[in-house]
This record gives sequence, structure tokens and C-alpha cells, in this order.
Amino acid sequence: MFLLFPIPVVTRTLLISLITIFTLVGIMVRPWKTNEALIALAGAGLLLLLGLITPAQTFFTLAQDWNTFFFFLGMMSLSALAETAGFFDWLAAWVARRSGNSARRLFLNTFLLGSLISMFFSNDATALILTPIVYSLTTRLRLPVLPFLFACTFIADTASFLLPVSNPINIIVLSTFPLDLWTFLRLLFIPSIVVISINIGVFFLLYRRQLHGQFDSKRLPRAAEAIKHQDYFRYTCIVLLLVAISYVTAAAMRVPLSLVAMAGALVLLIGAWYWKQSTLQATGKQISWSIFGFIAGMFIIIQAVESTGLTAQFGQLLFRLSGGTSLGAVLVGTGGAALGTNLINNVPMAVVLTSSLHSLQHAPLAVQHGFIAATIFGCDLGPNVTTVGSLATVLWLLILRRRNLDVSGLDYFKVGVVVTPLMLLAGAVTIWLLLL
Amino acid sequence: MRVLCCLDGTNVEQVSKAVSTMLRASTMTIGILYVTDTGPQEEMHRHRERFLRPPHPPLPRREQMRQAEEASAREILEEGRRYLAGAETLQRTGRPEREIVNSAADWHADVIVICSRSPRDGGPSLGPKSIGHVARFVLDHAPCPVLLVRPLSGNTFPIPQ
Repeated sequence: MFLLFPIPVVTRTLLISLITIFTLVGIMVRPWKTNEALIALAGAGLLLLLGLITPAQTFFTLAQDWNTFFFFLGMMSLSALAETAGFFDWLAAWVARRSGNSARRLFLNTFLLGSLISMFFSNDATALILTPIVYSLTTRLRLPVLPFLFACTFIADTASFLLPVSNPINIIVLSTFPLDLWTFLRLLFIPSIVVISINIGVFFLLYRRQLHGQFDSKRLPRAAEAIKHQDYFRYTCIVLLLVAISYVTAAAMRVPLSLVAMAGALVLLIGAWYWKQSTLQATGKQISWSIFGFIAGMFIIIQAVESTGLTAQFGQLLFRLSGGTSLGAVLVGTGGAALGTNLINNVPMAVVLTSSLHSLQHAPLAVQHGFIAATIFGCDLGPNVTTVGSLATVLWLLILRRRNLDVSGLDYFKVGVVVTPLMLLAGAVTIWLLLL
Repeated sequence: MRVLCCLDGTNVEQVSKAVSTMLRASTMTIGILYVTDTGPQEEMHRHRERFLRPPHPPLPRREQMRQAEEASAREILEEGRRYLAGAETLQRTGRPEREIVNSAADWHADVIVICSRSPRDGGPSLGPKSIGHVARFVLDHAPCPVLLVRPLSGNTFPIPQ
């Protein structure tokens, strides 16, 4: 039903707020395990149906964010095609062989490999592709699996602000606030190194007993076994190297990074098709299409909220809380982003914060940069607090625990709750120092 | 007497030593059990959901992980048979604590031999919390007596007053 008659501004604001809150709570709770994309699209659809946002506004919003959509598509396609070539398995086996049979060195190498993969292929590749590979490796080597699994999932996020392409969240924020590469690196590269070092150091301390001793390298698969087709593998390595260089060059020249990701994926797809390693359909099946629905739904909902002026007021509130100082901006931005990502998910939180920061255009540059860097930092690293998804999941796991069920998900939470606040604080202070 | 020995890939020496000092081999049937823990895979499923992906990884990855688990379990049980010649092997998949208790009931075990915790668990070997959650669950729920094998050395005694 369209609301064809004019409605008072207050009623409109109230309706939009209610739909947004219901959508966000729906994403948090996921009743009957409903897909988040369906919930986000249902919220957006309701706004459209009630005439609270026009089809033209919707189209304009989605068209404006083309860089984010194409980056997601290119990034997922690149990872899928590189996985088909056996690239990640080969890297993991190669790194394991260079660990000198030491469990500790393998642990360190897992962190370094995870950082490298996150840096150029985004945190998705580390969390979703490297983790099962490392699980298989450590199972074969009869090493304790959990520390290595935690290493992969943590480093996926901890190393996801080394470069703009290291996390799709960075693209969402940078599409609205295009920081040049130098400013991005100046504000976030050193904090990345600081938090990666803390992550590695604390994990070595936490798992020192599990990691002593040697493993039998005879149990390791040969790196060559991972290669499915020698020529396609070589081709993939060359293309990925060129993509990595192009990412940095494009970021420096302010060329949209989605173009590099899409071009790289297309060149890889041509190779995969030529050597009969994959097809367009097969690659399409490896892509999670529902993510696009989720992001589109969130963009539309937040656009509607933005039209009420609520996000601008939220931005002003953040500014007042920061006291107008760069230290306040970094601390408030990081804390707010980290809290929000654990309540809902980092994608909607990044969209909300990005929209809110529009109202800070008249703030001093250091404060603006502080908020932008803190948004990227908090939304990228924040999910490590709960790791299992969100606070709603943690609460559910605690309920299961009270029913005497052993819940290993809580082990994750315990580690996240100890390590992440430390990393958030150290990273935020480093960003502030770099702003001075 | 039927004795069920729970292996975790690191404790076969301790377990076999405990069994050989407990009874003469001729009077008992020894079963060696290894459980592939599904907990880590559940972690991965939860983590995939955070990235808005279906909980299960693609089929080739699942197969790769299954093969790794299978190879590791086979190797651990073979190693167990080298220490405890003639033992029956039992291989299960699930949460170790539940599988051990259920296997003991199904297999009609008279005694379960289990280590207090894996040396790689990281917990204390003596004192409070020295019994890991798997052994704790088995002690609480076992359908038969449990022999708890502890990795103690003489120099931890006497306990100070």
C-alpha cells in the first residue's frame, strides 16, 4: 500500500526509524535463521512500498555506490578463480614447509600468510579460504587445531586495514570520503603493524603451551600437489601479482578499485576458460550473491534515515562527544564503530557511520580524518570482540552453556574479549599520534 | 574385562603404560577410541555466517578437511595398536566428551582409561582445574569406573602445607 497522501514529517521520521530498528534487530536476531539479505531487502521494500523513499532515490543511491558492488563482485571472483588454481593451498603448503618442523614457526607463518592474503585479497579470503586450508594442514600434522583456527580468523580482521582493498568496509567508507593513498597509509598502516604485532604477541602468550614441540614434515602435502594445472597456476600467479601492483597504483591515482578487481577477475576468468579450469557459471556458483541484496537493502534503508536528518544528528552527537578534538574523534569513532559492529554487523555499521560523518564537513580536518580513520579501524577490527558474529550470538551461546552444553564458540569470545579491546586502544592511540 | 582407552593423538604412551600396570593383558579386551572433534568445524561455520556466507564451506573444501581428519584418525589408531597390540579400534566423529561416554555404553566397557587433559591443552597438570573439560564430562557421565591418567612427576610432591 502506497501512502499517497502527504504525511507529517514527524510521522515519516517515526515510520522510517521503526522500520530501520526492526530491520537492524532482525539482522541481529535472525529469526528462524532467516538470511540477513532477505531481512535487509524486506526493510528496504517496506520503505518503498510505503512511499517513504522514492524509486528514483533508491536507484540513485544504488547507482552512486557502484564502486562498492563491483568491488565485492571482483574481489569474490578473484578469490574464487585463484582458489580454483590451487593458489591458496600452494601458498599454505609452501609456508608450512618453511617452518622448519616447528609448531611455533608455523603459527607465526600462519599469521604472516594471513596478513599477506588479507592485505591484497581482503579479509574474506583469509577467513573463508585460508581457514579450512590451515585446518586441514594442522589436522594432518596432529597439531592443536584451535590456536591456528583462531589465528586465521583474527588476523583476517586485524590485517584488514593495511591497504584500502584489504576489507570491503574500507571501500564503503572511502567511496564517500576518498582519502588519498598516502593519507590512508599515513593514518592506518602503522596502526595495522601495531595491532598485528599485539595480536601475534598475545596469541603466542595465550597458546605458549600448545605450541611447543615439533611436527613431522613427512605428513605435509607437497606444495606442487596443490597445483591443478601448471600453466593456469603460473598464469594466475602473474595476474595476481599484477592485480596487487595495480591496486596500489590505482589507489595512488584515485582510480576506483573495483575496476582493478573486475579487470583482474576477467583476465583470470579468460585464463580459466582457456585452460578449461573454470567457467562463468562455475565461478558464479562460488560467489555469495545474497551479499549484494544485503548491502543494497542497507544502503536504501540508511538513505531513508539520512533523509530524515537523523544520521546528521547522530554525527553531531559523535562530534560533541569527541569534544571537537582529534583524540576524542579517534576514541569516540573507534569505540562507537566497535560497539556497533558487535551489535549488528560491520556492513550496516559502516554505512550508518559513513552517512553520519557527512555532517562533520565543517569540523577541523584532523577531526574529520580522525573520525574517518576510526570508522575504518573500528568497523574492521571491532568484529574480533565477539568473532562468533554478534553479541546476540554470544548471548545464545551463554544460554547453551547454562544448559551444560559445551560450547566452544565461547572460547572464541573469551580470546576476543581479552585481545581486541587492547588492540583497539593501542591502534586508536597510534592513529591519534599520527594525526598530530 | 573390557577396557576402553581414549586417545587424543598425544597420550598413547601414558595410556598404554597405565593399562599395562593395571591388569595382565590376557584378562582383558582393550579398545582404543579416537574421536574427531567437530567443535573446530562448528567454529568455522559460525565464522562463515559472520561473513554472510552459508555455514558449510564448498564441497571440495569439506572433502579436503574430511580426508585430513580421516588420515589423522587412522594414523593415531594405528599408533595406538602398536603400543597396545591386539586392541580393537573405535573411530567416532562428534564432541569427544559425548562420544566417549556413548561409546563406553555401546561397547559395554568395564573401565574407561582417559588422561586428565591433553598435554597441549595448556592447563595446569596439578591442582584445581587440572582436569580438562572432556575428562571432567566423562567422570561425571561415564556408565562405568574411570581410570584417570595424570601426567605427574615425583618432583611435584610433597604438596606444601
